[in-house]
Amino acid sequence: MTGLPVYIAAAGIISPLGRGLAATAQALRANVTAIAPLEIFPLLQGEPLPVGQVRDLDLDPALPRTHLLAREAARMTMRDVIEPPEAIILGCTTGGILTTEQLLRDKVGDCRAYRYHGLASVVEDVAALTGCRGPALTVSTACSSSAAAIALAVAMLRRGRLQRILVGGVDSLSHLTYFGFHSLQLVDRQGCRPLDVTRQGMSVAEGAAMLLLTTRRPDRPLAVMLGAGLSCDAYHPTAPHPEGRGAVQAMQAALADAGLAAAAIDYINLHGTGTPDNDLAEARAVTALFPLPPPLSSIKGATGHSLAAAGAIEAVAAILTLRHGLVPGTVGCRQSDPALGLTPQLTPTDHPVRTVLSNSFGFGGNNGCLVIGREDTGGGASGPTVRAPLAVHGCACLTGGGAARETLARLAAGRAVAGMPAAEAIAAHLPPRLVRRAKRLNRLALALAVASHADSGGRDTPAAVFLGTGWGALTETYDFLDRLETSGEQFPSPTDFVGSVHNAAAGQVAIHFGATAANVTTSGGDYSFEQALLAADSLLEASGQSALLLGVDEGHEPLSSRLDPSVAAGRPLADGGGAFVVNRDPVNARCLIRLAFYEQDEGDATVNRLVQAVAGPDCAAVLAGIPAAEAERGRRQLASFLKGCNRQVPVCDYRPLLGQFASASAVAAALAAICLGRGMLPGALVGGSDIPLEAGSRIVVVGTGRCLTAIECRRP
Amino acid sequence: MQQLIDELKEKIISLLNLTDITPADFDEHARLVGGDLGIDSIDVLEMVVMVEKDYGVVINNQEVGEKVFASLASLAEYIRTHRSGAAA
Repeated sequence: MTGLPVYIAAAGIISPLGRGLAATAQALRANVTAIAPLEIFPLLQGEPLPVGQVRDLDLDPALPRTHLLAREAARMTMRDVIEPPEAIILGCTTGGILTTEQLLRDKVGDCRAYRYHGLASVVEDVAALTGCRGPALTVSTACSSSAAAIALAVAMLRRGRLQRILVGGVDSLSHLTYFGFHSLQLVDRQGCRPLDVTRQGMSVAEGAAMLLLTTRRPDRPLAVMLGAGLSCDAYHPTAPHPEGRGAVQAMQAALADAGLAAAAIDYINLHGTGTPDNDLAEARAVTALFPLPPPLSSIKGATGHSLAAAGAIEAVAAILTLRHGLVPGTVGCRQSDPALGLTPQLTPTDHPVRTVLSNSFGFGGNNGCLVIGREDTGGGASGPTVRAPLAVHGCACLTGGGAARETLARLAAGRAVAGMPAAEAIAAHLPPRLVRRAKRLNRLALALAVASHADSGGRDTPAAVFLGTGWGALTETYDFLDRLETSGEQFPSPTDFVGSVHNAAAGQVAIHFGATAANVTTSGGDYSFEQALLAADSLLEASGQSALLLGVDEGHEPLSSRLDPSVAAGRPLADGGGAFVVNRDPVNARCLIRLAFYEQDEGDATVNRLVQAVAGPDCAAVLAGIPAAEAERGRRQLASFLKGCNRQVPVCDYRPLLGQFASASAVAAALAAICLGRGMLPGALVGGSDIPLEAGSRIVVVGTGRCLTAIECRRP
Repeated sequence: MQQLIDELKEKIISLLNLTDITPADFDEHARLVGGDLGIDSIDVLEMVVMVEKDYGVVINNQEVGEKVFASLASLAEYIRTHRSGAAA
């Protein structure tokens, strides 16, 4: 093991199989399916397809289904826990979309009605429920989201600063995913039958599961999170690599992280979605790594595929396997496909299991694998891992003022750059084939990635990708739902569905660069880029790897003004982003970058802790982001922070200059990095004379509003 | 038939945003999927939707799909013989 042991202190689950661990164990033992024709929303035509829906959910007109599911799982997990979690990480792909779909159909324009749309609104709700004051993060890597969230939590815990993280995943059924997967012909009309010779696809489902992970050994831990591994196929937006290349890599990474050989795995909980391609690629990956595979099965024929929740739901299933010796069957599989070369467990058996490998794979070629053990295998717990800071070797930004050079020149001349970069300017350096299916957000991300890589001299090929986006691909999401509605639910666009997932952009970037290591998309409203930076710093390995780190958002009419409360209806939109090539090598770096602070705002005490974290004589300037929706609170926080600094610090209130969009802080950080590289910050930015930046000088990008955050950029 | 082929060329270039070719460059007998045009499985599904929407012809079987989308000419032929009101 490469650090502190991580224990599972508590768990909660609500899925189509039922509520709680006992009910889930009972359903798995009964080997029955919960998949049934869709009932939770009406269809305009056609027979409802089989789905996995949560029964008897107490509906609340004020909250979307996703939030209700998340609340149930969180309450269950934290029921007997006294101390609140220090951080929360949830995997989620569609937030409150089911409610948003209805609002859009009803042509509701009031942005307050959409306040539970964003992915971040789910984890923020759980943070309020559980009294968490620390970072509340959302990982959105499609169907591997919660496995990636758990991998991130494990990495953060092993750094030693946090001791308790609540982690899991949630998604509810929605028109977007129901029709989206159907448009890709990935849904089995007979219900999901994993590994079966006649399998025809998945069953879309919903649910939530959470784990309380801790490095402090509980009296009676449920299980131990022994290791986690992430990878990216970098092959195709939806199809897995036919040989399961990325799946092998993620399983190997998880085993290496756990310090275990393949032979030490007693049971594999397969991703096993029931699509012909997934099951074949996964079988090839498993047989490549396990010459004699241990018992294995997929529970998705029982639960359906609950997308972002699946990894966490199956982690809970793994706990049941470890604690009760219950090896689940593969419901739905009657005759296993001989082409797979596997012998899945078709019915449950009782069999002592010490270690489980749990697989989750998703669109964008995102793979997340977990190794969970009954007890700590005791392999050299060596204390927290120590790491060099992230070093920036290339960076880029895009604003209404253009690329980095033009943006900085305009700002230095005292002019604003808020606006939308022209479509032609975004795609100017991108091959038409690369971007033919990409709409605005995905083009912005590709353009930023290519520009930052070029700026780094293009020597290192980035292995990992970390991307923060507040609102994801709005154009594709809107276009998909619009065509679904205008065609009477007949002709949804598969291309728009594929492009609409939050991690589509990072997946495209990975394919373009052949980046096969971790690929993580975070979404946290105004703090999305901060979350991506935290993920990069936690997950980027110390040895030699480079990563692309991006923050990007698109402006969209009519969605931006409805979803983002800082975007005023009727005002010109702004968008863009920033991108960085980072690694752990400080030699010749433009600057070093780290997330120095991230807490929920609780008044002066939080501001004081921010001052402690980042104030100091070498702080050359503060770039402050005050979201328009939080103007009053943000100005108060900033004034209080500056007062706490006990000296005159030059300040730039950057949002009026860069524009009101969620990932504007990525642009601010890119400008900071460029200025530190040049050794000078233009005086126009801070309303004074030019500021020389010397070795050790720092520019701090402060985020205000519901959270207080600080990105610290330091000249080495 | 040629009219349908020309119409499909225009539609597919626009539908799949193939900005680097013109209808004149589009060889209706060339391999449509996995060939030089860079058309893949997602594009096939987008074409399936278009064919159903614009011509009322349903292609919901992978084996049939592979034959139909072999080339633009084979797609045109399939539409011609399966569209409602097509001369038997």
